[in-house]
Amino acid sequence: MNFLSPWFLLGAAAIAGPILFHLIRRIVRERMTFSSLMFLKPTPPKLTRRRRLEHLWLLLLRCLCLLLLAAGFARPFFSSNSAMPVSPDDGRQLVLLVDTSASMRRDGVWEKARNIAEKYLAQTTPADQVAVLTFDRQPQTLVNFGEWVSWGLDQRATLAKQKLAAVSPSWMGTQLGLALTTAAEKFREDTANGRPVSRRELVLISDLQEGVKLDGLQGHDWPTGTKVILERVDAKPQSNAGLEIQSASPSAVGDDQPVRVRVSNARDSGREKFRLNWQSENGTTVAAAPMEIYLPPGQTRSFSAPKLPAGTTAAEIRLTGDEVDFDNHSYFAAPEAEHLTIAWFGLAGDNDPSKMRYYFQRVFPETPARTVKVITPTVQQTFSPELLNQSAFAVIPGRLTPEEITATHDWLARGKTALFVVTDEQAAPVLSALTSLPEIKITEATGEYALLGDIDFTHPLFAPFADPRFSDFTHIHFWKHRRMEIPASAQARVLAKFDDGSPALAQIPVGSGNLLVLASGWNPADSQLALSSKFPPLMQTMLDWSGGAVPARFQFQTGDAIPSPIASGGAAVQWQKPDGKKESLAAGAAFSKTDLPGIYTATFGDKRRQFAVNLPLDESRTAPMSPDELARLGVPLQTPSLVPLAKIQEVQLHLQRAELENRQKLWRWLIVGVLVVMFGEIILSGWLARREKTVEVTT
Amino acid sequence: MAIRSLELRARVVVEGFWNGLHRSPYHGFSVEFTEYRQYSPGDDTRYLDWRLYARSDRYYLKKFEDETNLRCHLLVDQSRSMSYGSLGYTKLDYARTLAATLAWFLNGQGDAVGLFTFAERVRDYLPARHRHGHLRQLMLALEKESEGRETNLGEPLRRVAELARKRGLIVLISDLLAPVDELERNLARLTAAGHEVVIFQILDPNELAFDFNRAMLFQDVESQQDIYLDPETVRADYQRKLQAHGLGVETICRKLGFAFHRVVTNEPMDIALFNFLQSRNRRGKRINRRTQQFP
Repeated sequence: MNFLSPWFLLGAAAIAGPILFHLIRRIVRERMTFSSLMFLKPTPPKLTRRRRLEHLWLLLLRCLCLLLLAAGFARPFFSSNSAMPVSPDDGRQLVLLVDTSASMRRDGVWEKARNIAEKYLAQTTPADQVAVLTFDRQPQTLVNFGEWVSWGLDQRATLAKQKLAAVSPSWMGTQLGLALTTAAEKFREDTANGRPVSRRELVLISDLQEGVKLDGLQGHDWPTGTKVILERVDAKPQSNAGLEIQSASPSAVGDDQPVRVRVSNARDSGREKFRLNWQSENGTTVAAAPMEIYLPPGQTRSFSAPKLPAGTTAAEIRLTGDEVDFDNHSYFAAPEAEHLTIAWFGLAGDNDPSKMRYYFQRVFPETPARTVKVITPTVQQTFSPELLNQSAFAVIPGRLTPEEITATHDWLARGKTALFVVTDEQAAPVLSALTSLPEIKITEATGEYALLGDIDFTHPLFAPFADPRFSDFTHIHFWKHRRMEIPASAQARVLAKFDDGSPALAQIPVGSGNLLVLASGWNPADSQLALSSKFPPLMQTMLDWSGGAVPARFQFQTGDAIPSPIASGGAAVQWQKPDGKKESLAAGAAFSKTDLPGIYTATFGDKRRQFAVNLPLDESRTAPMSPDELARLGVPLQTPSLVPLAKIQEVQLHLQRAELENRQKLWRWLIVGVLVVMFGEIILSGWLARREKTVEVTT
Repeated sequence: MAIRSLELRARVVVEGFWNGLHRSPYHGFSVEFTEYRQYSPGDDTRYLDWRLYARSDRYYLKKFEDETNLRCHLLVDQSRSMSYGSLGYTKLDYARTLAATLAWFLNGQGDAVGLFTFAERVRDYLPARHRHGHLRQLMLALEKESEGRETNLGEPLRRVAELARKRGLIVLISDLLAPVDELERNLARLTAAGHEVVIFQILDPNELAFDFNRAMLFQDVESQQDIYLDPETVRADYQRKLQAHGLGVETICRKLGFAFHRVVTNEPMDIALFNFLQSRNRRGKRINRRTQQFP
């Protein structure tokens, strides 16, 4: 028998009270009021041994009542090893989550973080299971539980420290939310390894700057018993400001529109005046005079950068005036205008409103970012395959020469996309030849007019129109259309149907490319499609979806994947990182190793394109974040424990004993005993009082 | 004491007394009847009886009724010591009933009755009157709850002497549980004013016998003082002291010419009334004798 609160047993000493009161009560058992005591003198009380021993049973009951009460408050329980949920000697699962984001590059911060991690590794016991993770934009596992357990007992901490020593802060942003949830999932993954675990601790070692991303923490289902111990790495208080180049238009360089730069000053910064100036790749100053800017602490504001010399394709802008250097550079790659050509087979008809080309040509106005040129791949009545190969997209209005069919089929098979407009029944052989499907039948539809009935808004071509505000195609009348019968072997996807059920627009795969087949034209004789507001976006979407367009972005953040500058099927792309490392990737494959800020160069064929990769501006917000923010998002925080292990084990043992006591609840029986004894005491005392009264009357 | 209404209780006692007496209550000891006195120069002419002058051609003065009627003041002790009682009612209940009985009786024979209730000081005072409704007021005053504490005759008797200026009958109803010398000093005030004084000492049977059978704490009802007593040990001494005190009081009364009656609360009320009337009778005869000896 053990007691959870043994000090309550001291309450048993209260039985002295009833004994004393019993004696006192014997002496002054009755009190009588009398009119006057002027004729009376006090007489000393006479006590006899017999009187003291009177009502001994009553006294015993009262003492028993107090003893039971004291025992009940002491919360007794029977210790039983089988009932112990977890032995205090069982190990814990410990996940060390170390921040390696760019903000950890500040002076001395990373060293402190590593020291803290090493301290935790040194304090581990043989029963512990440890995993070490680092995180910036993405979490990375250095050591997992299985690896740790497989190592020798005396090597575990050393090996983990070696792995940690090989890591250094990156240039990425801080996705703390993703890192915490991933680290917590480690507990869940390794729960089934069968080893008993007394507690789960996730130690977050980070500078916890304001710019961390906490996405995904809200409502996260944390594994049972997880405690997050926050080990904040305090940096030396320094003034810090950072900058980021906003996306610029292709006309920014050498034009009147300056490059816009967003500058952020940390909340705890002590400075307000900074300078901005361009530097060339070799470090020389480009602009004539630096620009002075004023920005109060805690604010982010956009400024127009000093003007760049004309013809600059890439440059670095530098911010001076603060004390922390890691985020003072931002790289700029001048956007290039996109020049696209679309091959139009057939007659020119540029200025004839009754022809389809008249409308098609006007769909693509020239913009600073993109110039679209519609060409005819025929030079002096002779088809030129080179012109077709240079084209990003092609439109085939029903007729092709055999030579053109062959060239176009090959072109399509290389991953290109073309739009085939079925102008009449004679288009069937051309279509069959292009798609290598001889079974395609085309007949002229009869009837007054047709409307689009069933549209597949899940296809990328119609996805922009999926919103109910834009999904109404019923005002487009198709005066003439053709019924197509496409065999099932074509694996065609019908994107839109006329209200008579025949396909209006179908996607037929040709090799790795696609042929879009439209069963009606957009010339006024065929339909009102060209007059509809749906026509330009539909054609633009076709061009974009065809993959012929190059990426419109030239500014990226560290960790972003840079899309391939050419579509798949083209020549290989040679990528060069800012540190000079080169890598060759297939056309269409995005370059994802953007782990350094700087200018990335992609070379393909005889072309060269530059991309700027920069540090996220949030990393410059280096003022410390309040841990309350984490607590608000439901992170089970625990303050760092400075209590020795023995003390922790003692507390844990107490908690286990409390749990055991809570299961047995012996105190309830003791309270029942108290009630029974009290009832007996009431009965006995009542009986004694009645007996005394009877004796008095008889005397 | 089984009858709750004090007035009714008094009335029952008085009427029962009359029935047992079989004699008229209007004889013997009432007021001296009205008479005429011959005018002598210097008398107030306002009191001349002009009707008699018209008949007899003599000047006679008419003697006022109130001069001839008895003015009686009842003094009822309401100190805490009076709240003791071992018979189901207290000494104060008994004293109130006795006072009410006397008031009823005197009022019935046309005398003016007044009332003082007191403890350490005078609580209620009703001047002696004989008018309609006065008896009712007196009963109400008697029935009022007592808030008194200790017995202190000095202050109340001084006030009585001040307020009852005209000579009359003073009936003091108290347990007189105060030191003898103090009592003598205080009672002497009444004689100085020329009042006739009748004293009823009300005692509980337990106070006389001290008939408690086991040791216990005794609490003084006035001082709240506790002492532990074994009654068997102290009984004899107590009774001796009480008797000495009674004798002392009687001696004082005799010396001051007061009628003294000890009434035990288990005695019937009419015995006390009879004693009262008897003492009044004796005094009447004594005065008559004195008048005859010195015409």
